[in-house]
Amino acid sequence: MSVAGALAGGFVGTVVLTTTLRAGSELRLTRMDLPFLLGTAVTADRARAKAVGYALHFAFGLLFALVYYAVFVAIGRDGWALGAVFGLVHAVFAGTALVSVLLPVVHPRMGGTDTAAVSAALLEPPGFMMLNYGSGTPLVSIAAHVAYGTLVGGFTALGG
Amino acid sequence: MTGPRTAGYAPLASYAAIGDGRTLALVAEDGSIDWLALPDLDSPSVFGALLDPDAGQFSLAPVAAHTATRRYLPGTNLLETTFATASGTARVVDALTVPGSGLAPARELVRRIEGVDGEVPMRWRVRPRFGYGLAGTRIARRLGVPVATAGSDALAVLSFDAGQPEIGAGEITGDLVARPGSAGLVVLSAADGEPLVLPARAEVEARLSATADLWRDWAARLTYRGRYTDTVTRSALALRLLVYAPSGALAAAGTTSLPEQIGGERNWDYRYSWIRDSALALSAFLRLGCAPEARAYFWWLMQASQLTHPKLRVLYRLDGGARAVERTLPLSGYRDSRPVRAGNDAAGQTQLDTYGELMRTAWLYANGCGHIDVDVGRRLAGIADLVCELWHQPDHGIWEVRGERRHFTQSKMMCAITLDLAVALAGRGVIPDRRMRWWRDEADAVREFVETRCFDPRRGTYLRSAGSTDLDAAVLLALLHGYGDARSPRWAGTVDAIRADLASAAYVRRYSGDDGLEGTEGAFVACTFWLVEALALTGRRSEAARLFDQALALGNDVGLYAEEVDPGTGEQLGNLPQALSHLALISAATTIDAHPEPVVSPTVGRAAPGRSR
Repeated sequence: MSVAGALAGGFVGTVVLTTTLRAGSELRLTRMDLPFLLGTAVTADRARAKAVGYALHFAFGLLFALVYYAVFVAIGRDGWALGAVFGLVHAVFAGTALVSVLLPVVHPRMGGTDTAAVSAALLEPPGFMMLNYGSGTPLVSIAAHVAYGTLVGGFTALGG
Repeated sequence: MTGPRTAGYAPLASYAAIGDGRTLALVAEDGSIDWLALPDLDSPSVFGALLDPDAGQFSLAPVAAHTATRRYLPGTNLLETTFATASGTARVVDALTVPGSGLAPARELVRRIEGVDGEVPMRWRVRPRFGYGLAGTRIARRLGVPVATAGSDALAVLSFDAGQPEIGAGEITGDLVARPGSAGLVVLSAADGEPLVLPARAEVEARLSATADLWRDWAARLTYRGRYTDTVTRSALALRLLVYAPSGALAAAGTTSLPEQIGGERNWDYRYSWIRDSALALSAFLRLGCAPEARAYFWWLMQASQLTHPKLRVLYRLDGGARAVERTLPLSGYRDSRPVRAGNDAAGQTQLDTYGELMRTAWLYANGCGHIDVDVGRRLAGIADLVCELWHQPDHGIWEVRGERRHFTQSKMMCAITLDLAVALAGRGVIPDRRMRWWRDEADAVREFVETRCFDPRRGTYLRSAGSTDLDAAVLLALLHGYGDARSPRWAGTVDAIRADLASAAYVRRYSGDDGLEGTEGAFVACTFWLVEALALTGRRSEAARLFDQALALGNDVGLYAEEVDPGTGEQLGNLPQALSHLALISAATTIDAHPEPVVSPTVGRAAPGRSR
């Protein structure tokens, strides 16, 4: 079990997660676009938002890998299967709280239930389990996060 | 007025186009948007009532009986429709906006409703149907805004002082009363594969204004100033709607499957870029001073054709891809004209004229626009080599006949032009000159073939194909591109024969004889303008100008041209707006202006392949 392994897993896992989400979009299963959502919190410029969003997305991917690592250390266990379970929990948390509830609260360009008349454009909120972005979104999100967790768990274990 | 709807279908002449350089919508004179593909011009439609009444529509009109007049706001692609009723007058401005610096929707369609006088109760109804009306579309609300979704497509319908949006069965509706000083907006915000952006009113108004300014600035930069300035400017603006901005490709038209014969099978998908249009397109861009568009188009063409080098596909996708698999959609078709097709199997045909078009495009680019790099130069030389090997073979010809291949005259003429231009480019050091002698010899051989096998000395005219008795107006295109001497008796005879046999007033058929398809078709608009230009080039400028003035009647009230016109009824036919029609119009107008009486026709032959335009 090592931090380097967790970070490597976090990087590879984020690559796989991002690719899975893009594939879901190309397969017309979802309109979820995490880099776009993250980037528009920083800038209103579309192109720049995508670029910034990808950078933030990878930073968060590494950050979550460290959180996974901390939990692995705390419970004294790691591995591919445990990582997959963490990924599943992560996906459910993201769908029910992190993205669907917290993101609209902190995102300066996302409307919520308390939004009154506004003078600037708002992003469509994700809704419960991000279902506003398509009925296939929960499935794609869970698959992507389980893949991410599996890789973080596995790489952490491989790291000795 | 262009006439009432027939079984729910508006006359094709009733459509005006709006666009943003990525996609295009068609607005009927009665205020209904019957076509909008999202997110791009070649994507499936969300409003497809043009092809099936159940395939989606966005109507907006006074509730009471009314008349409508319309125009494009000068120098723009913003459409203004004025509705007059017994109780008052209201004005609607339609546009697809161009994004600015803020967070804008991926695609945004704006309808701005202003009261002019009196009170005009109006109603709008949005019936979105994604995927040509074939995908299951659901409607719900987000932050109180009606949103239609299907798969990764979404469309939000926002109303600002244009009535409270109500969700009904598969539709979103609203009512308002237009009064003097009132201004309401109905805005469609579209997303594909990402969350929707729900814009604020002030941002929409700003984008609408900026979009108008952008079009005005672009039109003001056009360099053509002549006797047809207004007409040419409108055609240039129509062409600009067909330029797919992300790649620079020029779509042949904005629609699919609008019939060449009502109820017939000649219904094709034209939302691709044809090599056939390339030389006329580059020439038009250069004549109008649109160097950025010319550069973008040329390099798109070089990139797309690289995939299939040295052979050329007849057409390429707007993103440069070569695959255009044709499929039939289960739609009723415009006034029962079936099949409705998406994709185009003509992509895989053999059309030898395309090589001449590409070489002439390169010639025009090298002369008037920019530098051709070494790699492209090598590829052009490779294309000349290929033409030396291929020109003996029969092909499908420019008109993409679906029967057996023939030795089409126009194809052979374009092969000669290919090789002449290759020799000229090599002579200037633009492309490698190792095979120059071969190209010159083969060019002579092609000309020998054309002049002996494709010319009828008794009638004094070039024929449609070797050994045929039919005529083909496409040979005029070879004259326009520089084949032979425009002042020769052969071209004079050909122009006369085509005028006598294929033309009736301003209506010109493409060819006589069969084409492997059932049914007939209308007069081909581009052929009319080619005939105009041929008259000017052969020294009959006055006749050319008269015919040009007649030909302007082939367009609709806002200056848009479809592919064809029914000579019997004057009804527009085929896909629209049609790039080739507008390209031919621009070419003819500028040629007439460039040939004041008495006509000084160019001397064109093997040694002078690049008649300056």
